[in-house]
Amino acid sequence: MYVCLCKGITDKDIKEAVRAQGVGSLRELKQLMPLGSQCGTCTKVAQKIIDDTIIDDTMFKDVG
Amino acid sequence: MKGNSAILSALNEVLTTELTSINQFFLHARMYKNWGLSALNDKCYKKSIKDMKQADVLIERILFLEGLPNLQRLGALSIGEETQEMLGCDAKFQTAQISQMKPIIALCEQEKDFVTRQILVDILEYEEEHLDWLETQDYQIANMGIEKYLQAQL
Repeated sequence: MYVCLCKGITDKDIKEAVRAQGVGSLRELKQLMPLGSQCGTCTKVAQKIIDDTIIDDTMFKDVG
Repeated sequence: MKGNSAILSALNEVLTTELTSINQFFLHARMYKNWGLSALNDKCYKKSIKDMKQADVLIERILFLEGLPNLQRLGALSIGEETQEMLGCDAKFQTAQISQMKPIIALCEQEKDFVTRQILVDILEYEEEHLDWLETQDYQIANMGIEKYLQAQL
Protein backbone atom coordinates (compact mmCIF):
# COMPACT_ATOMS: atom_id res chain seq x y z
CA MET A 1 0.00 0.00 0.00
CA TYR A 2 0.93 3.65 -0.35
CA VAL A 3 2.45 4.95 2.87
CA CYS A 4 3.32 8.47 1.72
CA LEU A 5 0.61 9.69 -0.65
CA CYS A 6 2.23 13.09 -1.15
CA LYS A 7 5.32 11.52 -2.74
CA GLY A 8 3.85 8.17 -3.84
CA ILE A 9 6.08 6.01 -1.63
CA THR A 10 4.88 2.47 -0.88
CA ASP A 11 5.52 0.08 2.02
CA LYS A 12 7.50 -2.06 -0.43
CA ASP A 13 9.85 0.86 -1.14
CA ILE A 14 10.48 1.27 2.58
CA LYS A 15 11.02 -2.46 3.18
CA GLU A 16 13.41 -2.56 0.24
CA ALA A 17 15.39 0.37 1.70
CA VAL A 18 15.63 -1.39 5.05
CA ARG A 19 16.74 -4.69 3.51
CA ALA A 20 19.04 -3.47 0.76
CA GLN A 21 20.42 -0.24 2.21
CA GLY A 22 20.34 -1.13 5.90
CA VAL A 23 18.09 1.77 6.83
CA GLY A 24 17.32 1.61 10.55
CA SER A 25 15.58 4.88 11.34
CA LEU A 26 13.24 7.43 9.87
CA ARG A 27 16.08 9.93 9.56
CA GLU A 28 18.13 7.52 7.46
CA LEU A 29 15.09 6.73 5.32
CA LYS A 30 14.44 10.42 4.68
CA GLN A 31 17.95 10.74 3.21
CA LEU A 32 17.05 8.17 0.56
CA MET A 33 13.51 9.27 -0.33
CA PRO A 34 11.38 12.39 0.19
CA LEU A 35 9.00 10.56 2.56
CA GLY A 36 7.14 12.75 5.04
CA SER A 37 8.52 15.96 3.55
CA GLN A 38 5.15 17.47 2.68
CA CYS A 39 2.36 16.82 5.18
CA GLY A 40 4.10 14.42 7.57
CA THR A 41 0.99 12.26 8.13
CA CYS A 42 2.85 9.11 7.12
CA THR A 43 5.82 9.23 9.52
CA LYS A 44 4.17 7.09 12.21
CA VAL A 45 3.28 4.32 9.74
CA ALA A 46 6.70 4.54 8.09
CA GLN A 47 8.44 4.15 11.46
CA LYS A 48 6.32 1.08 12.22
CA ILE A 49 7.21 -0.50 8.87
CA ILE A 50 10.93 0.07 9.48
CA ASP A 51 10.68 -1.48 12.96
CA ASP A 52 8.59 -4.45 11.79
CA THR A 53 10.93 -5.18 8.88
CA ILE A 54 14.00 -5.11 11.13
CA ILE A 55 12.34 -7.46 13.63
CA ASP A 56 11.22 -9.82 10.84
CA ASP A 57 14.59 -9.97 9.13
CA THR A 58 17.42 -9.66 11.57
CA MET A 59 16.59 -9.77 15.22
CA PHE A 60 16.30 -13.52 15.65
CA LYS A 61 18.39 -14.62 12.69
CA ASP A 62 21.69 -15.29 14.43
CA VAL A 63 20.33 -16.42 17.76
CA GLY A 64 21.76 -19.76 18.84
CA MET B 1 -30.02 23.64 21.49
CA LYS B 2 -26.90 23.29 23.59
CA GLY B 3 -25.31 19.84 23.33
CA ASN B 4 -23.14 17.84 25.67
CA SER B 5 -19.45 18.68 25.10
CA ALA B 6 -18.29 15.04 25.24
CA ILE B 7 -20.84 14.14 22.57
CA LEU B 8 -19.82 17.11 20.44
CA SER B 9 -16.16 16.13 20.44
CA ALA B 10 -17.12 12.50 19.75
CA LEU B 11 -19.26 13.65 16.81
CA ASN B 12 -16.27 15.57 15.47
CA GLU B 13 -14.20 12.39 15.64
CA VAL B 14 -16.82 10.50 13.65
CA LEU B 15 -16.89 13.42 11.18
CA THR B 16 -13.11 13.20 10.73
CA THR B 17 -13.44 9.49 9.96
CA GLU B 18 -16.21 10.17 7.44
CA LEU B 19 -14.19 12.90 5.72
CA THR B 20 -11.22 10.53 5.51
CA SER B 21 -13.49 7.79 4.22
CA ILE B 22 -14.85 10.03 1.43
CA ASN B 23 -11.35 10.52 0.05
CA GLN B 24 -10.14 6.95 0.49
CA PHE B 25 -13.13 5.42 -1.31
CA PHE B 26 -13.15 8.09 -4.00
CA LEU B 27 -9.51 7.48 -4.86
CA HIS B 28 -10.01 3.70 -4.81
CA ALA B 29 -13.10 4.08 -7.04
CA ARG B 30 -11.22 6.06 -9.65
CA MET B 31 -8.23 3.70 -9.50
CA TYR B 32 -10.61 0.82 -10.28
CA LYS B 33 -12.12 2.90 -13.08
CA ASN B 34 -8.67 3.58 -14.50
CA TRP B 35 -8.08 -0.19 -14.64
CA GLY B 36 -11.49 -0.79 -16.25
CA LEU B 37 -12.97 -2.51 -13.21
CA SER B 38 -16.32 -0.73 -13.50
CA ALA B 39 -18.28 -2.83 -10.98
CA LEU B 40 -15.76 -2.00 -8.23
CA ASN B 41 -15.67 1.64 -9.38
CA ASP B 42 -19.46 1.91 -9.02
CA LYS B 43 -19.48 0.34 -5.57
CA CYS B 44 -16.66 2.52 -4.20
CA TYR B 45 -18.00 5.69 -5.84
CA LYS B 46 -21.40 5.14 -4.23
CA LYS B 47 -19.73 4.49 -0.86
CA SER B 48 -17.82 7.77 -1.17
CA ILE B 49 -20.96 9.75 -2.02
CA LYS B 50 -22.85 8.07 0.83
CA ASP B 51 -20.02 9.09 3.18
CA MET B 52 -20.46 12.68 1.98
CA LYS B 53 -24.16 12.53 2.84
CA GLN B 54 -23.36 11.03 6.24
CA ALA B 55 -20.79 13.78 6.85
CA ASP B 56 -23.50 16.32 5.96
CA VAL B 57 -25.86 14.85 8.57
CA LEU B 58 -23.07 14.96 11.18
CA ILE B 59 -22.16 18.56 10.31
CA GLU B 60 -25.79 19.63 10.62
CA ARG B 61 -26.17 17.81 13.93
CA ILE B 62 -23.00 19.37 15.37
CA LEU B 63 -24.21 22.85 14.36
CA PHE B 64 -27.65 22.09 15.79
CA LEU B 65 -25.99 21.21 19.12
CA GLU B 66 -24.16 24.57 18.93
CA GLY B 67 -20.76 23.04 18.29
CA LEU B 68 -18.26 23.74 15.53
CA PRO B 69 -17.82 20.92 13.00
CA ASN B 70 -14.12 20.43 12.27
CA LEU B 71 -13.80 20.06 8.51
CA GLN B 72 -10.10 20.77 8.58
CA ARG B 73 -8.90 17.59 10.24
CA LEU B 74 -8.36 14.55 8.05
CA GLY B 75 -7.07 11.11 9.04
CA ALA B 76 -4.45 9.10 7.16
CA LEU B 77 -5.69 7.36 4.01
CA SER B 78 -4.75 3.75 3.41
CA ILE B 79 -4.51 3.33 -0.35
CA GLY B 80 -3.67 -0.05 -1.85
CA GLU B 81 -1.64 -0.66 -4.99
CA GLU B 82 -3.71 -3.51 -6.43
CA THR B 83 -7.30 -4.73 -6.08
CA GLN B 84 -6.85 -7.25 -3.30
CA GLU B 85 -4.72 -4.90 -1.25
CA MET B 86 -7.22 -2.08 -1.81
CA LEU B 87 -10.07 -4.26 -0.56
CA GLY B 88 -7.91 -5.16 2.45
CA CYS B 89 -7.17 -1.49 3.19
CA ASP B 90 -10.90 -0.71 2.99
CA ALA B 91 -11.76 -3.61 5.32
CA LYS B 92 -9.20 -2.36 7.84
CA PHE B 93 -10.68 1.13 7.61
CA GLN B 94 -14.25 -0.14 8.08
CA THR B 95 -13.27 -2.29 11.07
CA ALA B 96 -11.57 0.71 12.72
CA GLN B 97 -14.59 2.93 12.06
CA ILE B 98 -17.05 0.40 13.47
CA SER B 99 -15.04 -0.02 16.68
CA GLN B 100 -14.70 3.77 16.93
CA MET B 101 -18.47 4.29 16.68
CA LYS B 102 -19.74 1.73 19.19
CA PRO B 103 -18.51 3.44 22.40
CA ILE B 104 -19.77 6.78 21.02
CA ILE B 105 -23.25 5.31 20.56
CA ALA B 106 -23.05 4.02 24.13
CA LEU B 107 -22.07 7.53 25.27
CA CYS B 108 -25.14 9.01 23.52
CA GLU B 109 -27.32 6.45 25.24
CA GLN B 110 -25.78 7.28 28.60
CA GLU B 111 -26.25 11.03 28.07
CA LYS B 112 -29.80 10.43 26.76
CA ASP B 113 -29.06 12.10 23.42
CA PHE B 114 -31.30 9.71 21.50
CA VAL B 115 -31.45 11.70 18.28
CA THR B 116 -27.65 11.71 17.90
CA ARG B 117 -27.68 8.05 18.84
CA GLN B 118 -30.15 7.32 16.02
CA ILE B 119 -27.98 9.19 13.50
CA LEU B 120 -24.92 7.19 14.56
CA VAL B 121 -26.81 3.88 14.53
CA ASP B 122 -27.92 4.55 10.93
CA ILE B 123 -24.30 5.26 9.94
CA LEU B 124 -23.06 2.17 11.80
CA GLU B 125 -25.59 -0.02 10.02
CA TYR B 126 -24.35 1.15 6.63
CA GLU B 127 -20.68 0.73 7.62
CA GLU B 128 -21.32 -2.83 8.82
CA GLU B 129 -23.05 -3.65 5.55
CA HIS B 130 -20.09 -2.35 3.60
CA LEU B 131 -17.67 -4.39 5.73
CA ASP B 132 -19.82 -7.45 4.99
CA TRP B 133 -19.61 -6.67 1.27
CA LEU B 134 -15.81 -6.43 1.57
CA GLU B 135 -15.71 -9.81 3.34
CA THR B 136 -17.81 -11.27 0.53
CA GLN B 137 -15.25 -10.04 -2.00
CA ASP B 138 -12.50 -11.63 0.07
CA TYR B 139 -14.39 -14.92 0.06
CA GLN B 140 -14.93 -14.75 -3.68
CA ILE B 141 -11.25 -14.05 -4.37
CA ALA B 142 -10.23 -16.95 -2.13
CA ASN B 143 -12.64 -19.32 -3.87
CA MET B 144 -12.58 -18.31 -7.54
CA GLY B 145 -9.07 -16.90 -7.77
CA ILE B 146 -8.10 -13.29 -8.39
CA GLU B 147 -8.16 -13.59 -12.22
CA LYS B 148 -11.77 -14.78 -12.39
CA TYR B 149 -12.78 -12.28 -9.73
CA LEU B 150 -11.29 -9.40 -11.68
CA GLN B 151 -12.97 -10.59 -14.86
CA ALA B 152 -16.30 -10.48 -13.05
CA GLN B 153 -15.68 -6.83 -12.16
CA LEU B 154 -15.16 -5.58 -15.73
